[in-house]
Amino acid sequence: MPEPVFELKGVTVRYGAFAALSKVSLRIEAGERVALIGPSGAGKSTLLSLLNGSLAPTEGEVRLLGQDPTRLSTRALRRLQRQIGTVYQQFHLVPNLSVIHNVNAGHLGRWSLLQAVVSLIVPLERSRAARALAEVGIADKLYARTDTLSGGQQQRVAIARVLVQDPVAILADEPISSVDPERSREIMTLLRELCDRFDKTLVVSLHAIEYAYSHCERMIGLRAGQVVFDLPAAQVSPQMVEALYRIRDVDV
Amino acid sequence: MSVPSAAQRALPLPEAFSPWRSLLRGARLVALLTLLAVAWAATQTGVFRGDLINAGGWALVQQFFAAALRPELSPTFLRLTLESTLVTFAYAVCGLALSLVIGLAGGVLSSEVWWLVHQRPFVARPGSPWLIARGALALPRAIHEVLWGLFLVRILGLDPLVAILALGIPFGAITAKVFSEILDETPRDALRALLNSGAPPGHALLYGLLPRALPNLLSYTFYRLECAIRSATVLGVIGAGGLGYQVLLSLQSLRYGEMWTLIAALVLLSGITDWLSARVRQVLGAPARLEVNLAPGCEAQAAQLTRATPSSRGLLALLGLAVLVVPLALVYLQPDFGRLVSPRTQALLGQMLAEMFPPDLSGDQIARLLQLSLQTLAMSIVAMAIAGLFGLALAHPAARRERGPRWPYWLTRGGLLVLRAVPAPVWALLFLFVMFPGPLPGALALAVHNLGILGRLIAEAVENVDQRPTRALQHAGAPPLHAFFYSTLPMTIPQSLAYIFYRWEICARETVIVGFVGAGGLGRLLTEQLSSFDYPGLSATLIALFGLTFVVDMLSTAARRPLR
Repeated sequence: MPEPVFELKGVTVRYGAFAALSKVSLRIEAGERVALIGPSGAGKSTLLSLLNGSLAPTEGEVRLLGQDPTRLSTRALRRLQRQIGTVYQQFHLVPNLSVIHNVNAGHLGRWSLLQAVVSLIVPLERSRAARALAEVGIADKLYARTDTLSGGQQQRVAIARVLVQDPVAILADEPISSVDPERSREIMTLLRELCDRFDKTLVVSLHAIEYAYSHCERMIGLRAGQVVFDLPAAQVSPQMVEALYRIRDVDV
Repeated sequence: MSVPSAAQRALPLPEAFSPWRSLLRGARLVALLTLLAVAWAATQTGVFRGDLINAGGWALVQQFFAAALRPELSPTFLRLTLESTLVTFAYAVCGLALSLVIGLAGGVLSSEVWWLVHQRPFVARPGSPWLIARGALALPRAIHEVLWGLFLVRILGLDPLVAILALGIPFGAITAKVFSEILDETPRDALRALLNSGAPPGHALLYGLLPRALPNLLSYTFYRLECAIRSATVLGVIGAGGLGYQVLLSLQSLRYGEMWTLIAALVLLSGITDWLSARVRQVLGAPARLEVNLAPGCEAQAAQLTRATPSSRGLLALLGLAVLVVPLALVYLQPDFGRLVSPRTQALLGQMLAEMFPPDLSGDQIARLLQLSLQTLAMSIVAMAIAGLFGLALAHPAARRERGPRWPYWLTRGGLLVLRAVPAPVWALLFLFVMFPGPLPGALALAVHNLGILGRLIAEAVENVDQRPTRALQHAGAPPLHAFFYSTLPMTIPQSLAYIFYRWEICARETVIVGFVGAGGLGRLLTEQLSSFDYPGLSATLIALFGLTFVVDMLSTAARRPLR
């Protein structure tokens, strides 16, 4: 059996007395497209933070690409994190930089400091950035200031940054919650196509269940920090989804 | 990753990157012009001349620094230091109280929203009363506290009242301008809703606008307290007493041990005030000392990042304290308010105004004023170039961070505090130990003092910046310094530059106070004219000074626009 991309064994994350995740175990294999669903506060973002190595578990074991991030040196952790790209709900781009610099920020894990600084003055790897932007469908925005773009376009820039980073797996934390419904479909389709074409693993947290059905092959339902179900999308019934979101006994 | 070539060919690529074409647009044009202006100013102030350093002065410098090891600590001198500190503090408090009265009244009357709610329909532009109120505040603002002090002392005689008015009047005008801006930038949706449901304008303002503006108004007030302490010290230098005066006396009589004791008191007073002001603003949820140049979007973002409800109990305790301090300070200073209305005052004021008109606008005078105005302008540009450059460099170690060692923070913050606690004229006198008199020591003095202020302003901008893009880069494996260049630096540069240009406006006014100790420019001419009672010449110099500050304000506003 090949090494899984992500593996969690009995993982608990506590913030003070509050358990954001408790005793979560799961494996995600290379090339899978996984949707994380569940109400706000269920632990989706915490889980994604574990998967990109920015959060250490309180208990249990996390393995990312076969490595335990808590045992790595800072340098080795950065090398590992370079293999995992994340797209965020609020994009987390630098608003007053040109699009090309935000896209080139995907290179930072492998660029020298000198290259990084020089590129801010005369952009390096322009054709690579242009190709990535073409992939996400906004080729003409290379030199535009990022905050002049619409929300949907900015999310495309964030995806182009991940493409340039060229990771093994792409994590997306509610990537469509800040864009309108029409853009939502486009962004989800884009993520799915890119992952298919370049053979990336995709883990995406979603509030819009229909995209979990239409764009992912596996669904993990989270509620109050626990995995309620972990099934192929086709086997998740509307009743199960409804139970997941039911107000009763959810701590608000 | 391999990208299919079909997609590559099918999609049009954007025009090629050209560094030269984009150089002459917006922010880049400002950068280019700034560089040229700095080069011109450096030549003007004689940075490139050979004979700058007066080598004979090094012995004095050595004595001065050696004295730091043995400050004067005799009980009598410590008592004097304590008394001087109280005097400076009392001036600052009384001046601030006066400026708040002027600022509130002026701020409301010169705000757009006040005039808008009093006329129908609500959406129209405000009329002429608004413009008159705005214009009336421009004049007192353009004159530096020290100049106010020098004028008032001629009319009112030596009395604590002079320092209080000299501080309160220009501060009041500045406060009025900022208060009106705060009122006008406060979101109006709640106000509009109240007006539309038939509430009278006054009630609607009280319920719909003031509560939302209050944290910002209070936060700015406490920032002004910091400024008031610095200004009260400078007023001391020109003779009002307090710490500034004692520093000058000790410096001139070469008693450096005493000076170090006094400087320690200054740093302590400044440090405590700055800390208190920062705490209050934290409680109020408005951590930025002053917000120049926020783009409309950023403002909402900043509000979102810093939203906090004022803890009402702490606030009440604070206001109680403030209310107590003002009468105490008045009792301590004992200003003679009778002098304001005495016949002697009226006679002297009338006489002075009569002599000031008409101003001396002969050909010679104008040529001289023009030359000195350019020298003053150059001085302010050199000062801000130095302060800005070092401020940008020092602000990053001076920004409080979640992780990493704390000593760079304390070291740079402490250094910046000392730089700003010592008033600019005292810095000028220290530079004059080792430099020949002229505009350059004055420019350096202004640079050092403003660096202390600017460094901290920028550091706070760095602290308040959105951390999430930086974290996103670090979580994707970017080393800290790389992430800094691709997120923190570009995100803070516009605000930092806006601060530098904003301080330039203040620095142009401050050239007067280093001119007072002989550092050249219009300030020196003003001092000469004041001491020789040349009032027609004085009013001509004042006109030149107005013109200069007006030009600097315009340039600063224009330069800040593309930075949004």
